[in-house]
Amino acid sequence: MACDFLKQFPILILDGAMGTVLQQRGLPPGGQPELLNLTDPALLDAVYREYIAAGSQVIYANTFGANALKLRASGHSVDEVVTAAISIAKQAAAGTETLVALDVGPLGELLEPMGSLPFERAYEIFREMMTAGSRAGADLIVIETMTDLYEAKAALLAAKENTDLPVFVTMSFEANGRTFTGCTVASMARTLEGLGADAVGLNCSLGPDLLSPLLRELCENTRLPVIAKPNAGLPDPVTGRYDMGAEAFAQALLPCLEAGVTIFGGCCGTSPEYIRELCKVMADKRPARRTYDAVSFACTAVTPCRVDGVRIIGERVNPTGKKRFQQALLEQDLDYILDVAVAQEDAGADILDVNVGYPGVDEADMLPRVVKKLQSAVSLPLQLDSSDPAALEAGLRVYNGKAIVNSVNGEQEVLERILPIVKKYGAAVVGLTLDKGGIPQTAEERVAIARRILDAALSYGIPKEDVFIDCLTLTVSAQQEQAAETLKAVRTVREELGLQTVLGVSNISFGLPNRGLVSSTFLVQAMSAGLTLPILNPNQKDMMDAVAAFRVLSGEDRACRAYVERFAQETAPVVAAAPSGQLTLEDAVIRGLKAEAAKLAKAALETEGELAVVEGHLIPALDAVGEDYEKGRMFLPQLLSAAQAAQAVFEVIRTALAERGGAPVKKGALVIATVQGDIHDIGKNIVKTVLENYGYEILDLGRDVAPQRIAEAARGVKLVGLSALMTTTLPAMEETVKQLLALPQPPVVMVGGAVVTPEYAAGLGARYARDAREAVEITREVLG
Amino acid sequence: MRLDHGDALRYLGAGEQAPEELRLAVERTAAMLEESVQPSFVYRVFDLERRAEGMFLRGAELLLPGEMAQTMLADCSQAALLACTLGSRFDAMLLAEQARDMARAVILDACGSALVEAGCDEAERQIAARLPEYFLTDRFSPGYGDLPLELQRDICAVLDSRRRLGLHVTDSLLLNPVKSVTAVIGISERPQMARIRGCACCAMREHCTLRKGGNHCGL
Repeated sequence: MACDFLKQFPILILDGAMGTVLQQRGLPPGGQPELLNLTDPALLDAVYREYIAAGSQVIYANTFGANALKLRASGHSVDEVVTAAISIAKQAAAGTETLVALDVGPLGELLEPMGSLPFERAYEIFREMMTAGSRAGADLIVIETMTDLYEAKAALLAAKENTDLPVFVTMSFEANGRTFTGCTVASMARTLEGLGADAVGLNCSLGPDLLSPLLRELCENTRLPVIAKPNAGLPDPVTGRYDMGAEAFAQALLPCLEAGVTIFGGCCGTSPEYIRELCKVMADKRPARRTYDAVSFACTAVTPCRVDGVRIIGERVNPTGKKRFQQALLEQDLDYILDVAVAQEDAGADILDVNVGYPGVDEADMLPRVVKKLQSAVSLPLQLDSSDPAALEAGLRVYNGKAIVNSVNGEQEVLERILPIVKKYGAAVVGLTLDKGGIPQTAEERVAIARRILDAALSYGIPKEDVFIDCLTLTVSAQQEQAAETLKAVRTVREELGLQTVLGVSNISFGLPNRGLVSSTFLVQAMSAGLTLPILNPNQKDMMDAVAAFRVLSGEDRACRAYVERFAQETAPVVAAAPSGQLTLEDAVIRGLKAEAAKLAKAALETEGELAVVEGHLIPALDAVGEDYEKGRMFLPQLLSAAQAAQAVFEVIRTALAERGGAPVKKGALVIATVQGDIHDIGKNIVKTVLENYGYEILDLGRDVAPQRIAEAARGVKLVGLSALMTTTLPAMEETVKQLLALPQPPVVMVGGAVVTPEYAAGLGARYARDAREAVEITREVLG
Repeated sequence: MRLDHGDALRYLGAGEQAPEELRLAVERTAAMLEESVQPSFVYRVFDLERRAEGMFLRGAELLLPGEMAQTMLADCSQAALLACTLGSRFDAMLLAEQARDMARAVILDACGSALVEAGCDEAERQIAARLPEYFLTDRFSPGYGDLPLELQRDICAVLDSRRRLGLHVTDSLLLNPVKSVTAVIGISERPQMARIRGCACCAMREHCTLRKGGNHCGL
């Protein structure tokens, strides 16, 4: 988007606060200022004119909260309020050069996974605002005061996909350099620039003095013009008054100018007087020189990953050659996939590769679901691994941050299909050095393909630092001379093209004994040749050790700190567990020793069948724990530890069965959910953890689930468990139970939660489960 | 800010008889939590006006109806509205921990509850320090006694808690992030007796599992 006025004005002055100015003029705190567009246009007109007279070159129309969620109860439509607001502002600006911005604030509800608003719904609500603003004649769009990068992304996509207007995006940070949701400055800058924002910046939350170090960081992380719209200092908690005067405010913005900011305005507590002072101070100033740090980068909102050394890409979220993973994909068991991802994060991966391609799996449906699931509990950046453009687009769309796409190759059609998607979502991309002719045998030919991929990426506007090249590892036992060619290609791509290099390392040793030795030796060679992004299994200690040692020798691990810490932990005393020789499987479960329990289960399976292990060892152990818990000899964390040790045993059994292709051990199914309106689900999750270990198949619908959805899922199921936390969500529980009991074959319904009582449950025609232990009793009674 | 380990243990249903390993687990989790999350809060002080319908906060234009407000604020000339939260980073930690280890997750959950209470205590100390010539009542929250839960929404709106704390109220009047509190604190010229703390004032009195076990939640 050409942003001509940004070129025209080397320094651009925005307006000051609207909300706090309206409060000074009588709007009570907490009132809805957007309705003034309909009830008091003269008041708004006066404020706009004061800002224009003070020197604002852009005024924000009074549309901050004019979205469908916040206007829901007002009886007015988004279109009505936005159109009125823009036309008042345009009238005030008529005859001046001042531009009118559609002002878009947060929706007022938290997005998933913290809240229950789905990303797609947020996009739709923003889209309605964007099209209304564009139709009403706004000159630009300003998305501001965002604290959730995911929400900012939904708004930015809605603006870019539905209007031709320039888009500014500003977010609110705390002094610790993070937003309320934990987003970092670098993640924000690089994600939003990648998505096509025209300018980015910070507004609200702090005064200019506290914001200026963050603005400096922002300027280093983007090529875009940078905006500063701080508060007039901090509010006095007792009176609510802001503590910084107009002159001090304008002076305090000078360090921001030096840091590289070129667009200035004010937020809460500022007024036309502040803008007047600001214009005075900036009148004779020139923009400062900017230095952009063109580092290769991927991130989630909370975890920035700068590729300025070796970064490990975990390879385990991938069905290839893993029966248990294939089974999970076919059964849509996202919890299992999450477990695999979590283990890699905990083992020290920096980035996770995500591949869900398998016959019978609709990748375009599955990839976005897995992305959402993973980003609910894993903080690492993801590398989306697919050749299906529809799957990649669907995955990138719901990804919160800057992702990596794996992969393109030298084929023209592939480049044309995938690179526009990479560009649109601001991702980095892995290019494989192969093409129609297959994998070239020489390093020179592979480098030539790398060059072709780089040129193609540049032609789509993808910057060089976002292009990573995979020179391809071949199996050394089959093509021995190729190991050297791969290393040579890595060295050339790194040194001559200056690109990051990716390699799937473990392929090298396929078919050889002691594979770990060959793989880790090759890994070290490759890193020496210039490999920066090895794809490997982070659960393999020798590989991780090799990377740790390499980081010391390359100087990346300053003062060998990470290395020392890694091995200091290792020499620490091991968990005080009895030697497994004396420990029975029952003991291990009762004491919550996960690893021991799994080991003993494997041993037990050598002499006993799966069912015998479950019925003979597991269930009696869990019963003993349950009884201790009931009698107050054991507490909830211990009950859950035991449940998780039992889960480890179950995992051993499932894996054994999957490897043999046998039917899973399942004892009957139940549906569980937290009722509509309720977002607290730890209680339901506790029940789930405990029940799973009795071998029941649990369909967990999650939290905030509509009655109809629960009723649909419960068809043909004998038991449903519902949880509710607050009195305000009890009506939803009632409605759900009613719908369940009206089914042709009504299930038994058990209910629980902080405010639920036995009398209340009986009144509904449901069973009362005081805790997880009672839920087990009821489940056994119903499902056997 | 430090959280009270005894509170966390009570929320876990263990209290005084907690086994050593659980105590240690709470200590470890508390230290980790205090390291990564601090409660944040905002408050505003308003003048009180006695009206027939209830206690009215001038400037906030907010009515606190019912007996609870009447009794608690009987002696007061002003009242503070308070919102305190651990923020959604705690929620993210709790989600991540639930995916790893439910046992550790419930300990984290209990420590979070204790930490947000510590945040409220700190806010009270600050209010008291700002108004040294006054005395504070116990804090009380929407949903206590007959103080309507709907006030949750109004208190958050008056304090602009979404913008200033990232604290939201859902349609079903739940606070989001999970570990959040809104409260009213009366401000009086005379010393105030404790009226709220203890089970006698609690709406959960009949069904509270802590109380059945001879414990209390510490409030």
